[in-house]
Amino acid sequence: MHSLHWTSRMISRALRSSFSTLLESATGAGAASKVGEGALKSATPRPHFVSVVCGFAKDNLRHKYKPGKYGEDSWFKASTEQADVMGVADGVGGWRSYGIDPGEFSSFLMRTCERLVQCSHFNPQRPVNLLAYSYCELMEQKKPILGSSTACVLILNRETKTVHTANIGDSGFMVVRQGEVVHKSEEQQHYFNTPFQLSLPPPGHGPNVLSDSPESADTMSFPVEDGDVILIATDGVFDNVPEALLLDVLRDVEGERDSVKLQMTANTLALMARTLSLNSEFLSPFALSARRNNIQARGGKPDDITVVLATVAM
Amino acid sequence: MSLLALAQASTSASASTSSSSDTELDAQVDFSTMLMHRQREYSGWFGCGTKMQPEPTDQGYYLEQYVLGVLDFSSQYGIEYSISYTAANVVGRPSKFPAYGDYPETFTMRTYGDWWQRAPSATQEIQPQNLPKLATHDYIVVYFEDYVVPTEVAIFETFNPGAVIRIWAYGLTKHWTCLWEALDTDLAPTSRNSRRFAPPLLKTTMITKTLRIDFNHSQLNYYTEIDAIMLCGRTVSGRLIQSILEEQARVYKPHSPLSKMGTGGPISCKLRTLKFKPNCREKNDTSLHEFISNDLGKFLLDNRQEDPLDTPACGMCVTDLPFEILLKILSYLDLQSLFSVGRVSRTFYDISTHPLLYAELNLKPYWPVASSELLCTLARRATMLRKLDLSWCGGFNEISPTEFKKFLTQRGDNLTHLRLNSCKFLNASCIENVGIVCDNLIELSLRNCATDPPLLNFSCLANLKNLERLDLFQTAFDTELLLSMLEGNRKLKHLNLAFCGVSVNMDDVADHLATYNTQLISLDLWKAHFLSARGLLAISRCRQLEELDLGWCLREASLGDGLFQLLSNCPKLRKLFLSAVRGTTERDLLHIATLGKNLEQLDLMGILNITHERVFDILVHCPKLQLLDLSFCDNIMERDFDLLAEWSRQFKVDIKSSRIFDTR
Repeated sequence: MHSLHWTSRMISRALRSSFSTLLESATGAGAASKVGEGALKSATPRPHFVSVVCGFAKDNLRHKYKPGKYGEDSWFKASTEQADVMGVADGVGGWRSYGIDPGEFSSFLMRTCERLVQCSHFNPQRPVNLLAYSYCELMEQKKPILGSSTACVLILNRETKTVHTANIGDSGFMVVRQGEVVHKSEEQQHYFNTPFQLSLPPPGHGPNVLSDSPESADTMSFPVEDGDVILIATDGVFDNVPEALLLDVLRDVEGERDSVKLQMTANTLALMARTLSLNSEFLSPFALSARRNNIQARGGKPDDITVVLATVAM
Repeated sequence: MSLLALAQASTSASASTSSSSDTELDAQVDFSTMLMHRQREYSGWFGCGTKMQPEPTDQGYYLEQYVLGVLDFSSQYGIEYSISYTAANVVGRPSKFPAYGDYPETFTMRTYGDWWQRAPSATQEIQPQNLPKLATHDYIVVYFEDYVVPTEVAIFETFNPGAVIRIWAYGLTKHWTCLWEALDTDLAPTSRNSRRFAPPLLKTTMITKTLRIDFNHSQLNYYTEIDAIMLCGRTVSGRLIQSILEEQARVYKPHSPLSKMGTGGPISCKLRTLKFKPNCREKNDTSLHEFISNDLGKFLLDNRQEDPLDTPACGMCVTDLPFEILLKILSYLDLQSLFSVGRVSRTFYDISTHPLLYAELNLKPYWPVASSELLCTLARRATMLRKLDLSWCGGFNEISPTEFKKFLTQRGDNLTHLRLNSCKFLNASCIENVGIVCDNLIELSLRNCATDPPLLNFSCLANLKNLERLDLFQTAFDTELLLSMLEGNRKLKHLNLAFCGVSVNMDDVADHLATYNTQLISLDLWKAHFLSARGLLAISRCRQLEELDLGWCLREASLGDGLFQLLSNCPKLRKLFLSAVRGTTERDLLHIATLGKNLEQLDLMGILNITHERVFDILVHCPKLQLLDLSFCDNIMERDFDLLAEWSRQFKVDIKSSRIFDTR
């Protein structure tokens, strides 16, 4: 409960001090940017992502394909003049036994992030704010949305050519440059197989449910160069595909601007993760980490797989 | 047409040599047709993002544009920083249309139907004869990117269409023109389908990029939701706009209040500047005088109708009636007619300017023309002013704060009712003035005055001690001020603090209410998210409560004993809104059924634990129930929809059960 209170109060105070409403009173803003854009072709190339998505739901039979989600995972992509934004969210499956659809929470989180990117108060340097606002929006819905999910959001600020990230839980991202991993997110877990998660518990069960506030997200900011490859994925990928294998695939696609080729690589990655996850003999990263926690495990971890693959083009 | 002619005349007059301009004109024509051809290829639905920068050409092109931003709105369902059910969703392209359903990505207003008029907190309109037949309940003011001459305005309604009654446009000449007005018949509830509503507009040549849409909710079954607004029209060249704006700056238009509603074209302006005076006045005067003294009698004799009851000796006319009767007759007139009547004759002028006719003033229906001059005129007449409603006026600087303060200082000391909803001209010193001058106030309504820094941050209003109704819907204020006002006004009966819960600690407010304002009849705490069970317990000590709106309060916190205490202590409770109070348990619903004997309106939207049995219990045990809102109660919705309809008929209760119709 505390996390909800604090987040909302923080946001409302921040909003009151800088921009109290979403209303714009000056038309000059719109006109100025239009004049700045001016001619049909731009003078300087703007940094942007060439991005593709691929994935598989764990249980293909139960989940019909719906755009924007793979089973309980969900993703979004959005772009404005100032920034390109991408994100994934992984719904925590444990809610199913309480009659709550875990995919609803993650899907809503991602859809709201997509809408919030277009708002006037979107700050391209604070992905944590995006997650926090999106989380608050959950409570303004007439339809009660329950559940929890991890989240990972990445923003490319065009002007400063930096990427800002925020990660809660065990989804994550990886940045590859010149054949090497230069940035990688850390998994956040309370204990084994229990990642940090944003959650909205059913009324009355607040204290019994693990609920982390958006403030506990890991944030990173780093500059990017032309040709960098960025992979954002849920734990279905990182738990099943060893890093060396990922690196192998990703280094081939550095600097690739053709989205078709990029899509083929994303498909490869997703398929690799899927195959390995269903393999019962293979010592996956998940099995290795389980063994480190004194749990005898072997084989891949069947899970929803979401791969968002992007290259930076300038 | 006249504006266009004027502008072109002035530009051609300022051209130096005719020959050079001719050749330039030829070149321009060729280029502009070429450009139009290219633009027609690219034209389409220009969003509010980047678009081609058009070359200045005298012939505009057809442009369709969506809302760029929202300037003002009277109410919205969601809280201000949210993007769910708020006015900000009207911006840009439609996100849900043509889907039909209750979606959060749309603009929803706070009320529907006439349920709020039937509630204990309902207010009476001041000077109701001023209001048009279809009164405006809510409005929204939006602006677009480019100036156009409007040919079509399309409103995309995605839920319960049929609330739009007026479309206004704000022209370059700084006047509002009503482009369309609904007739009574237009407001009949339409089919349950989303629609693109584009009524036939007035043929006009005004240039605008700001629209205001007026809504009337009386026929609505449930909330109405707007997804987007589109303005279509012909663009005009930048030069034309510039010249009109310069014209505006030069010509001063003295606005005769209410007698001319916003028409003062360029010709009459020109006439005024020329100091045009007819010079045959004397002759007319004497000839009229002669006619009356010599020929009138004969004229009447020749033209009278044969009537046996006719007594030609004593002809009664209206002005022979006693003064008080005339005053009574004129008291039924609306303000505009009153001004017109004053122009008939000296007698009528004297009667129509009598202060007793100006004891109640409502300028809300005249918001397009309310100005500082009007206030000045009214100040001279309204020496016995008791009730004043200036809501919605002065949105574009037509009323200056200084003028308002002067008005208040002159006439405000006997005010008992003051409504300043959505008055954009208010500043902190105006409010201070209210506090100092109007200490007899019984009702103060300051809805929708949310500014940053908050207007009400002085201890100015703490001077008011007789308040019975205080309405601070969607207005920001300092907690300390509110608490001191609550302590000072022991007779407070109606308090509206909707949307104020973000910056104010509602538990403290609730404690104060229980201590100092035990006569409270209605309390609105919509969206006071951080109200806790302790606050609810405090509220339950106001035993006179008849109306309590706790929508979206308490979040997921459990209510504890609060609801039970409330229902036991307040037997007079008629309206109880528990929208999205997710902590409501089945026991609470049992309590409602057993203790809510006088309940007329009950809103249980979005509460999870509701089952059929509890609903039936409530329907059986609450005999006076008229409205029961069970929308988004997913526990029920999955199954028998028809059962609810059956119960609705059987118990004569209006049961609302909206939900999102398609799954995404």
